[in-house]
Amino acid sequence: MAGVSLADIRSALSIPDSTEGAGPSQPKKQAQTTRKPEGISRELYSLIGPSQPFLAAQVAKPRLKQKPKFATGGTAATKWELRTVKNPARTDGLALKHWAKASEDPETESPFAKYNIQNPVYTYSQDEYSRFLDTSNRAATPKDANPDFEKQWTKDWTDYLFRLYNDYDGRWPVIWDRAEFPPEANFDLEDLKHRYYSVCRKLIRNRPWPGDEASKTALINSLQFDIEREKMRKRYVVSLESRTSEQMAEEDALYLEVRRLEQTERRFKRDREDLMRTLAGMDSGLPYIVEDNGGPLGILAESSSRGPTKKGRKNPALDGTDSPSTPSGPVSSTPTHKRPQNTKSAAYDAQHCIIRTELSSNTPATKAAHQPAYARSSKIPYLKNNSMQTKILQSFAEMGLSPSRLVMPTKENCAQLEGLLEAVTAMLETKKHLDKVDYDIQVLKKQLGMKTGEGDGDGEGSVKREETMDVDNPQDTETDGNEGRGQSVMSVRSVRSRKKSRAMSTSSVETAATSVSTRKRQKRG
Amino acid sequence: MVNYGGDEVSALVIDIGTSSLRAGYAGDDTPKAIIPTYYGYLPTSGADVSMADGTEGTETSSNKTQPANTYIGQNGPSIWRPNMEIGNPLSDGLITNFDPIPPLIRHALEDVMRVDATEHPVLVTEPAWNTPENRERMAEIMFEEFNVPAFYIANTGVLNAFASGKGSALVVDIGQSMASVTPVVDGFVLRKGLAYSSIPRFVHNLSRSVLSMNSQYRLKADLWPHQLISSKMPVDVGHPPRYTLREERVAQTTESWKVWAENREIDEWLQSVGAVSDQGWNEQFLSRAAPKQYEFPTGYATTYGAERYQVSEHFFISNHNSPDQPKTLPGLITESLRACDPDLRQVLTSNIVLTGGGSLLTGLLDRLNIEMPRNFAHAKIHAPGNPIERRYGGWLGGSILASLGTFHQLWISKEEWQEHGKAIVGQRCK
Repeated sequence: MAGVSLADIRSALSIPDSTEGAGPSQPKKQAQTTRKPEGISRELYSLIGPSQPFLAAQVAKPRLKQKPKFATGGTAATKWELRTVKNPARTDGLALKHWAKASEDPETESPFAKYNIQNPVYTYSQDEYSRFLDTSNRAATPKDANPDFEKQWTKDWTDYLFRLYNDYDGRWPVIWDRAEFPPEANFDLEDLKHRYYSVCRKLIRNRPWPGDEASKTALINSLQFDIEREKMRKRYVVSLESRTSEQMAEEDALYLEVRRLEQTERRFKRDREDLMRTLAGMDSGLPYIVEDNGGPLGILAESSSRGPTKKGRKNPALDGTDSPSTPSGPVSSTPTHKRPQNTKSAAYDAQHCIIRTELSSNTPATKAAHQPAYARSSKIPYLKNNSMQTKILQSFAEMGLSPSRLVMPTKENCAQLEGLLEAVTAMLETKKHLDKVDYDIQVLKKQLGMKTGEGDGDGEGSVKREETMDVDNPQDTETDGNEGRGQSVMSVRSVRSRKKSRAMSTSSVETAATSVSTRKRQKRG
Repeated sequence: MVNYGGDEVSALVIDIGTSSLRAGYAGDDTPKAIIPTYYGYLPTSGADVSMADGTEGTETSSNKTQPANTYIGQNGPSIWRPNMEIGNPLSDGLITNFDPIPPLIRHALEDVMRVDATEHPVLVTEPAWNTPENRERMAEIMFEEFNVPAFYIANTGVLNAFASGKGSALVVDIGQSMASVTPVVDGFVLRKGLAYSSIPRFVHNLSRSVLSMNSQYRLKADLWPHQLISSKMPVDVGHPPRYTLREERVAQTTESWKVWAENREIDEWLQSVGAVSDQGWNEQFLSRAAPKQYEFPTGYATTYGAERYQVSEHFFISNHNSPDQPKTLPGLITESLRACDPDLRQVLTSNIVLTGGGSLLTGLLDRLNIEMPRNFAHAKIHAPGNPIERRYGGWLGGSILASLGTFHQLWISKEEWQEHGKAIVGQRCK
């Protein structure tokens, strides 16, 4: 449908042709009676009309290359003459001859003469030199010039520099290559440039200017040269070149690593966006939840509104992670984005008992950190430590509480239950340690007794040892290296803590045995 | 016409190298006349009839201009003559003996090309390390002896860059006797960055010592040229050759002719057998390298394995055992680039032009292509695929330059020469 013309559309919509009144700029339409091109059937032509010339060209029969038209009788061969070239650049009498058409005007200059362009030549008189250009003259040097870069120039050297500039048409690398200053001058390429341009600027500034002020400043600006910056730039170039291959490899590796991180980040962002749309956007169908918990969505919206990032070639709408900031960057920017909203709606929240959970700013924007909406009753703090579960349940039973059910799961109650759970867990942990230390003390005492009274109970001792091994082995596999250290620390406090634990007596359970059994279960499961 | 930039004034281009002198019309893509720069002469001023170019029967024209006992051209040094000595006006790429230059040029222009030099402007090439005296002498020869209407002398480095279509390039030119690295910027040679050495000659001499030594693998090869061999019998590979010399000729052969003939054999051996390994010097790889068979004019045929690579490896690696070894190619390139402005290095390394007949050595381009990027990022080597363009790159660049319309104003005319004298050459040909 590439060739649908305006006329086709008009005819299809039966709108009268309006090209007659279209205006003079439009080319006159071709006569309607165009002939049917060769190679197209009449039916096809009536369908597609004259607007398909390229199709006809394709369909047309292949033809042999056309024979060149020689001047057979009709037109005479073009006459060529050997003529001398007229080149205004040549002032001598050299007559170079070339062949030219006889029909051409013999007086025309060589078409190459126009390429012979001379640079404007700056010259100065002796008076001008001593007044403005002499580097030994304090008044001639500008006040703001950095003395480090102002070298001493004699007039001979300056003359020589200007001669070279004209000889080599301002090709500075060549000028520097050919320049032969005395060794004490010790000029860099930048020194030569600096000298030349500063002399030119001074000449223009101090001479009467025929044109207007703007053209003068434009010319001076075109002759600006910052020697300090140029020298620094050259140092950078040199340091860039003198990198070792290891450094370059490291740079490449770092670059790849950055790219890889960026890609991972981008993929992850996309995944999360999909997930957010599924979870928060569609399933719950509650718009404010999206606002509330969908911090990441907010980030996305924000980052996309940030517009194209540093690397403009990527689609900024797709993800915000293309920006060179670190992964935590977008997350840390969240509070600034949300806070104003919160302060505005704080009153509203208080009225409607809405509690917003604020993500801490250092939470990484990962999937795990995201909290979807939930009913509080479904998220009563629960025992997370499986190994302690039975013991904690027993403790709760002793207190006459149920850890899994709250009659009124308000926020405060939930928090209190959570605190209680934590306290019980901590207590049980301590008790477990205590029991273990007690047991160890008993064993060691038995061993000591055996050592002092050798003949007493040899057989009994060996049995005991076996028993300890039995009990300890599963624990050893778990805690291994820490065991010894833990024991020694515990043994110091053991005497004190033994009394305490007896006084507490929260549980009559034989913790040492249960702990072993739970550990075994864990391993199996 | 302006687009293409050419405006023919039927100029001639003459490019003099150590091995051959090339001459032709500007605007052509190959030189019309390629004659050896070596020439034969008889030291005694005998009354021998000149045989300068017997096939073309131009003895009359030759007799007028050159000494009767000088033999120039395709039938010059390569034809054995009793007591004929061989000379070369060049040493280390520079013309050191100007006496044979006019006969050589005259032979190329008048006997081979059959043109009248007084009708054509002439462009002559010079190596980058040419001395001002040399170029002035060349101008003098062209103006005074050949009466050319206009003259120009251009640098081979610049011309090689032009032949590759570049205004700025780092030209690596490997000739018969000299290898040079010339930085060219905007058509000007950077003289401070010029680096050259006689490494090709060193490799050549090394080949000679390899060939003329008996080793455990093979006999030493006799380098007798076919001109001195009367008959030979076919022998198996590796067996001692059976041939008879033309004793009557050997007795009358001069030392210089024998050296010249032997050098030709060595060059031929190096060109057909010698190669550069692309991975550098690696004994393991070289021991597995495919041996190549080569037969000398004596009929002695043998195979060469590691020696093929061993000799030409010296283009790249300096041997600590031979302190007199000239600078290697990578050394020359590094030296040249170091002397250039840091801003230019990037431009130059990305425009390396490899040229010269010596660069046609098998594997040399591949090796450079591997070695250069290791030291210089963005190194790109441009080497003409056409061996003619590689061998006569300097001439080709001259042909391009002399046919340009913008070049008309640069010719030194005879009038200017007479007016300003020798100084005009240095002024005009920068």
